[in-house]
Amino acid sequence: MIHSFAIIIFAALIHTSFQLSVSMLTLLSSHAIGKKTATAKLLRLTNMFSLGVAIMTMLLLSFIALLLQHSFAGPVPAIVWAASCGLLIGLGVAVWAFYYRRESGTSLWIPRSVARYVSQRTKATKSSAEAFSLGMSSVVGEIIFMLAPMVIAALVLIQFEPLWQLVGIALYVFISLLSLMVVNGLIGSGHKISQIQRWRETNKRFVQFAAGSGLLILGFYVYVYQVLGVTALAPGWL
Amino acid sequence: MSAQSHMTTQIIKRGGKRASEPFKRAKLYASIIAACRSVRSPEGQAEATANSVCDAVCAWLASKPEVTGDDLRRKAAETLHEYHPEAAYLYKQHRLVI
Repeated sequence: MIHSFAIIIFAALIHTSFQLSVSMLTLLSSHAIGKKTATAKLLRLTNMFSLGVAIMTMLLLSFIALLLQHSFAGPVPAIVWAASCGLLIGLGVAVWAFYYRRESGTSLWIPRSVARYVSQRTKATKSSAEAFSLGMSSVVGEIIFMLAPMVIAALVLIQFEPLWQLVGIALYVFISLLSLMVVNGLIGSGHKISQIQRWRETNKRFVQFAAGSGLLILGFYVYVYQVLGVTALAPGWL
Repeated sequence: MSAQSHMTTQIIKRGGKRASEPFKRAKLYASIIAACRSVRSPEGQAEATANSVCDAVCAWLASKPEVTGDDLRRKAAETLHEYHPEAAYLYKQHRLVI
């Protein structure tokens, strides 16, 4: 049980290091403050954005878990664990290689036309409902990278009792939102957006390295624990 | 004099896909003031900074029949840096956040 929760926590920590939602929240706040939006409305927008991210993360994780639960009647086959580990390791290398663009600022890997569209939508966001849906789409926008930690967390979750599954989902969503909550808190407490952006720009290579390394470590750990461990214990292995 | 000259300056849009448009001081003023407000500058300081930057950019544009949007932005950021480095940083980062 502790091992399983450790995997969920580690997967959620990797998830929280992905930056599209944080970038969009930074831009949303910057534009709202630039337009002299009242503090209460600014907080409403940022909170609704974060809520959108939380709901979408929860829905996606639950959906993946449900899908996997229906696919495997008994224990998850070792081949599925092995394939998921391959996905983690592949994405870990991809994050190392091209998560951030090689230019100043915090430009992400997403195509520039998409980034321009997302920026325009973020700038145009005025109502709480728009901020909420923007938060939801920010999770979908980075699903390529988020899929791997989510699949691993879902594979672990489906082995729990229903109550513990809910606890696991809540824990994953809470931890995956940590970076967003920190930025939200800094904006709410009156910090300058430029300070937040400067910190993000200064530390972007470290965040990239940590996210990539996290994916690789999780991939190897799960492979050893779930694939080699199960194989070694199988009857007639020796 | 400069106000007369920059009236005709055409701004060529990024990538050249959209039609060029005449320079609008009000548009530049709004973007500078938004950058100053984003770093929580007092309103009076934001207005004074935006006016100074707009004056400097208008003077720079006076002798130019056309410039690219990127050049205009670069010049505005450069000038803004002299008055408000923090706001200039955010102004430059605007397209590099996502």
